[in-house]
Formats: sequence, C-alpha cells, structure tokens
Amino acid sequence: MATPPVETTPPETKTILPPQAIKAPAGQTLHALHYKLVLTLYRVFAISVLYLVLIGILAYAWVMGFYAVNSSWAAPVILSAADEKSLDFREKLVTSQQTIEDLKVDTKKLGDGVAEMKKHRAALLALEPKLQAAIAREQNHNLVAGPALSTLDQQKLADNATTQKVLETLNQVESNIHKDLTSGLITQGDAATQLAAVNQTRNAYTDSKIAEVLLTDSVLDKTTVGTGSLDVLVKQAELRSEVAQLDVAINVAEKQLQEEDRQIDRLHQAIATAKQNPYYLNASGGQTLYFAFVPYDDQAYATPGNTIYDCYLNMVLCRKVGSVKQVFPSEEQAIHPIFKMQIRGFLIQMNLDHPESAKSKTVFLERKPVLF
Amino acid sequence: MAPILLWLILILCLLISVVKYLMGIIMRFSFPSTKARKDYTYEPAVSVLMPCYNEGKTVYETIESISKSNYPNEKFEVIAQDDCSADDSYEWMLKAQRDFTNIRIRTGRNAVNSGKARSVCNALQHSASEIIISIDSDCIFHPDAIRELTACFAEPRMGSVGGRVGVRNPNDSVITAIQTLIYYSAFQLYKIPENWTRSICCISGCLFAIRRELLLEIEPAIRARNWFGVPVNQGEDRFLTHQTLLRGYGTYINNDALCWTTVPNTLSVLFKQQLRWRRSIVRDFFFTMKTLPQHVWKLHPNTVFTLVLTPVGALVGLLVVVNMLTQDPLSWTGPVPLITALAIGAVLSWVVKRYSAKEAVRHPLAFAAYVAWSFVSSLFLTPLALCTMDSADWGTRTIAAVEREQEVPLGNATR
Repeated sequence: MATPPVETTPPETKTILPPQAIKAPAGQTLHALHYKLVLTLYRVFAISVLYLVLIGILAYAWVMGFYAVNSSWAAPVILSAADEKSLDFREKLVTSQQTIEDLKVDTKKLGDGVAEMKKHRAALLALEPKLQAAIAREQNHNLVAGPALSTLDQQKLADNATTQKVLETLNQVESNIHKDLTSGLITQGDAATQLAAVNQTRNAYTDSKIAEVLLTDSVLDKTTVGTGSLDVLVKQAELRSEVAQLDVAINVAEKQLQEEDRQIDRLHQAIATAKQNPYYLNASGGQTLYFAFVPYDDQAYATPGNTIYDCYLNMVLCRKVGSVKQVFPSEEQAIHPIFKMQIRGFLIQMNLDHPESAKSKTVFLERKPVLF
Repeated sequence: MAPILLWLILILCLLISVVKYLMGIIMRFSFPSTKARKDYTYEPAVSVLMPCYNEGKTVYETIESISKSNYPNEKFEVIAQDDCSADDSYEWMLKAQRDFTNIRIRTGRNAVNSGKARSVCNALQHSASEIIISIDSDCIFHPDAIRELTACFAEPRMGSVGGRVGVRNPNDSVITAIQTLIYYSAFQLYKIPENWTRSICCISGCLFAIRRELLLEIEPAIRARNWFGVPVNQGEDRFLTHQTLLRGYGTYINNDALCWTTVPNTLSVLFKQQLRWRRSIVRDFFFTMKTLPQHVWKLHPNTVFTLVLTPVGALVGLLVVVNMLTQDPLSWTGPVPLITALAIGAVLSWVVKRYSAKEAVRHPLAFAAYVAWSFVSSLFLTPLALCTMDSADWGTRTIAAVEREQEVPLGNATR
C-alpha cells in the first residue's frame, strides 16, 4: 500500500472575531446592548451571590467553630404554665401531699389504737395480782376448812349411823302404838300424836343424811382440785394470753407507726427537694420565671450571682441582661441550639432585666464571648 | 411545607436514580433490545476529528492508538486540529503524521484559540466522510472502537453513538479511584435504561460518533452558542447529543467501543472539571425548560425525565444540604453515609475487578471519600455553576491559557 502523503489542512480562512468587533446593523447593536445589560446585571448579581455565599460559609464555619470551643453559653428555656413536665410534676406533688395526709390520718388512728391497747393491757395486768391473791386466799382457807369439814363429816357419819340404829327401834314403837290403839289402851288422838313424833324423827334423820352428803361434797371441794379451781386457772391463762396478744399487736402497730412516720419524713424531704425544681417553681409560681439550660461543659460559669450577657448574632455586641439566680442540680437533657445533638446539663434560674432575652437562642454567663 | 416539598423532590430524584441503576442491572441482563443491532459489514468512510490543546506528547499516543484501529485504513482518516497550543502539541501531531503513514492524517491549526467545539467544526470543514468521530486528544482508543461505533449506524435512525470511557489511572489517588468506580457504573448501569429508548442524554466527548449530515445541520447552532453574547465553548458533547435527540434521531452508548482517558488526580482539577460539567448541565436544563413543550411532544418520556430530573436533583441536593447544615449540622457525620459508601465501593470494586481488570481499584475503601466529595459537590458546584455561566474558562489548562491570553478572544480552552 502506498504511503499517503503528509497533509496539512489549509489554514482557517474564516477569522473569528469577538462579537463586539463585528460591525453590526442598528437592530443587532440594540440586541448586543440588551445582552450587555443583561450580562452586566447577571455578573453583578452573580458576584453578589458568590460573595454572600462566601460570607455565609465563613460565618457558618465561624459559628460552628465558636460553639465547639466556647464554654460559657446557656440556652434560655421558656417553661409555660401548661408545660407538660410542669403539669406532670405538679400532679405528682399533689399526689405526694395527699399521700402524706392519708398517712397522717393512718398514723393518728394507729396511735389511738396503740394507746387503747396499752390501756386495756394495763387493766388486764392489774387483774392478774388480784386473781392471784384470791386464789391464794381460797387455797389458804381450804387448807383450814378442808380438815375441819372432814372431821365434821366423820362425826356426822357416826351420828347418822347412831340415828339409823335408833330409827330401827321406831318401827317397834309404831307397831306398839297401833296395838295399843286397837286394844284401846290409848285414844286415837294419843296414837296420832305419837305417830307424828315418830315420823318427825324419821324426817330429821333424812335431813341429817342430806347434810352429810352436802358436807362430804364440801369436803371434796375443799380438799381436792375441782372444776371451780380449774375455771379460775383457765381465766388466768386467758388473761395472760390476751395480754400477750395485745403485746404483739402493740408492737406491730408501733412498728407500723414508725414506718409511716419515716414515710412521711421521706415524702416531706421529697417535696422539699421538689420545691427546688424549676418545673415546680414554674407550675406553682404566679409570676413569669426565666430559666436557661447549661451544658455540663459550661458548669464552671453557672454560679448564682454571675452576670448574664445577651449578644447579637449569638456572639457579638453583647449587653448585660441579668444574673444567675439559682442553680438546679437535677440533670436535664436538651438539644444543642447549633449542633442539634442531644446534650446533658442542668437548668439555672435567671433574673432578667430584659425579659426579651429569654427568647434568644443563647446567652452567655459571666463574660462576653468575644470581648465585645 | 417547603422542607417537605424539598424532601419529596429529593426522594423522587433519588428514587429515579436508584431505579435507573436497578433498571440498568435488569435490562443489561434481561432486555436484548437495550443493545443496538450492530452490522460489522457496514463500513462507511470515517473521519476522526481530534481537536487538541496543550496535550504535548499525549496527542502522539492518541494518534498512535487510532492508527492501530481494526478498520480498513483507506476508509478512515484522522484530522487533528490544534487550537493554538502553547506547548509542543502541534509538533507531536506532525511527528505522528510522519510516523503513522499507514493511515491518512491531516493536521491543521486554528488561526486563533477557538475552543474545542469550534475546533471540531473547523476540522469538519476538511472532512467528507459519512461518519464523523470526535475524540479527545488525551485518550487511548481500543483497536475495535471505530468498528464498534460504525456498526451501530446500521440502525437507520441512529444519529449519534458514543463509546465507553474507561480510566487509565485508577490508582493514582483516592480521587481517581472514586472516578473509576463512578465512570464504570455510569456507563454500565446508569445509561442502560437510556440506551433502551435510544435516548442517551449525554454522549461523552471523548468518543463521539455522529452522522455527517446531522453534524453539518447542527454546526451553525454550535458556532452560535452563547450566553447573552458570551460564546459558549463548553459542554459541546451534551449539546450535540441533545440536538440529535431533538432532530428525531436516536443516541446510543456502545460499551464495546472503548477508550481510556486520564482523569484528574487532584481535587482542584477535579473540581474545575466538575464545575465545567455542572455548568453544561445547568445550561442544558435552562434550554430544556425553555423548550419544554417541544421536548414533551418530541421525546420519549424517559428522555424528558432524565433531562429534567438530573439537574433538578442537583439543585434540590444543594437545598437539602444547606437545610441539613442549618437544621442538623452533624447529621452527615453519622456512620450510615460512610457504611453505605463503603458497601457501594466494595461491590463496585469487585465488579470492576471482575469485568474490567485494567481498571481494578487497588484500594476500594477509598470510595468512602466519595461521601466528602458528594458533600462538596452538592454544596458548591451548583451555586458556583449558576453564578459563572458566562465563564469560558475550561479550567484544566490554566497555565498555558494565561500565557496566550492576549490572542484568545473567544476563550482559552479546548477541553
């Protein structure tokens, strides 16, 4: 294959000139002027926008850097009376106070009950020596009366045996009376009188036998442990049991009383602590209160009495707007006003001379962030 | 209300992006119609136009790679157009012309520095071929690139065909590693659904084939591009693709047509390149909005979606990042974006290593840096692009540009 010749394209014949160099008719000149105007406006606009973007970027970087290193900022927080946390807090507080009242009533009832039980116990304990004395007295009496009655009982038995022998002769006497009457030796009246006397003797013997039985019974009572004595012992045991039960009940009641007292103390302490909480203050106070969230990194500047500054653009041209009134120790979590990340910290109460500063995104504690 | 709307739009854009990637995966393996019918017997005359500015010896290597193409030598030519390079690029072009005599090479120089688009147009004047292939002068081409591109023109309504651009320097730095993965996924996945409807919205200027008559039709529009009188010499590839679509032709990326480019390996160069691209996207968006009814009636909905939602996504992304920085400044520092980027990077790295070993990224974990880059990109590129629409600065050849500033009235860049 033949080698093709080296070719060079002829130089460009057309001369490309810039639009402004071409001599154009009037219409085109007008068109070019229009373009020029639009282009000038566009360039002014574009340069302005680019400078604004540049300023925006630098400002953004500055703000980010500033808040990354600054350690004296705080974020004002406006707590409304209808704030959910405040309302919740208030509700819990009311519930706690109600619980205290209930506990107080319970404590009083329990205290009264314990006093009553103690009184009852004292009465029961007072009965015990009397019962003991009565039992001893009775035992002593029995010791004396028992043998005497026993002797009398023996004597009575002997008397009755003698009487019985005598009564055996009465049947013969009665038969003789009937014979004498039949034979007419005695009148009927005399016979009746004599028979009545015989019968009276027999009645006397029966009475004597009854007395003997009763006496024997009395001897048994006085010389052995009978049911009567046992009843007394049962009563004594019941008395002691009742005292013991009262002791237990009193002990339990006293412990419960102590526990309830402790619970009341705890609730009082909790309420006292709660009263130091911003949400309680917010919910209970009639006046507007100002709070601010302080991250833990800025803790060093959150001291009561420290000055509070509010700044334009969140960092410059700062002015004094108040001071730190109170620091609340309980932990709070909040969203970082710039970085929008969750951070930990606590709340402070502010005394603000300029209430509108409560609406600022950030305020600064103790010192101006950039010296002016 | 506004933030919700913003998030909705962002989610929509993200969804569309994700859906496009997912569709890309599905279509790649399941839809034969996403691939154009190729006819390798179709061998039209081809002119490879190569505008060049300050490329030095690279231009010689580029021409060398073209000279090794598997395409009948008598059917293609290289027209190298130097755009008044300040270095020895033109000498290298002449040397290549002398050395690679197996193909026809024509060289030329612009009278004044005119920019890439106009250099292509100038080169076009010396071409008579049926198919024009515009290439970048810093790329290395696969021997089959020309054959692959021309084979796609067998479809009669095919207007423009692009090739896949691979990265020559994937392991130069973290920045090149990121770009390697992004380039690969963009060509292999993101553009596949667009291929399905033959409606690629931006064919890379690195390897861009177009029918001659179509380019001639569009050429006046290319030359006339301006921003309120300021000539526009950037984003000609996006403009050409868009114009092709509006003229009722199809556009397509043939991933078998390969070329390799050297991507920026420093953040500043990458930023300038991305800024230039973002300007093109914004400019294209304005044009789309200006002629929206025409787009809606003429183009496939898939094309309109891509043309509208891609730039809207960039705008909304900016607003979302600003919103995020002001509302929740530290949200982006969480582990989720990092882990997501690492996971995507690991998967992409494995895929690239598996299917394109030449581009294998040695440190796939470097993709995590994409989080930081996407942040910078979303935040700065769009506003900067919106405010510098009148800029003709190419951005990546600045030293030489300063030297020649006096004689470059239309802009100082060619690529």
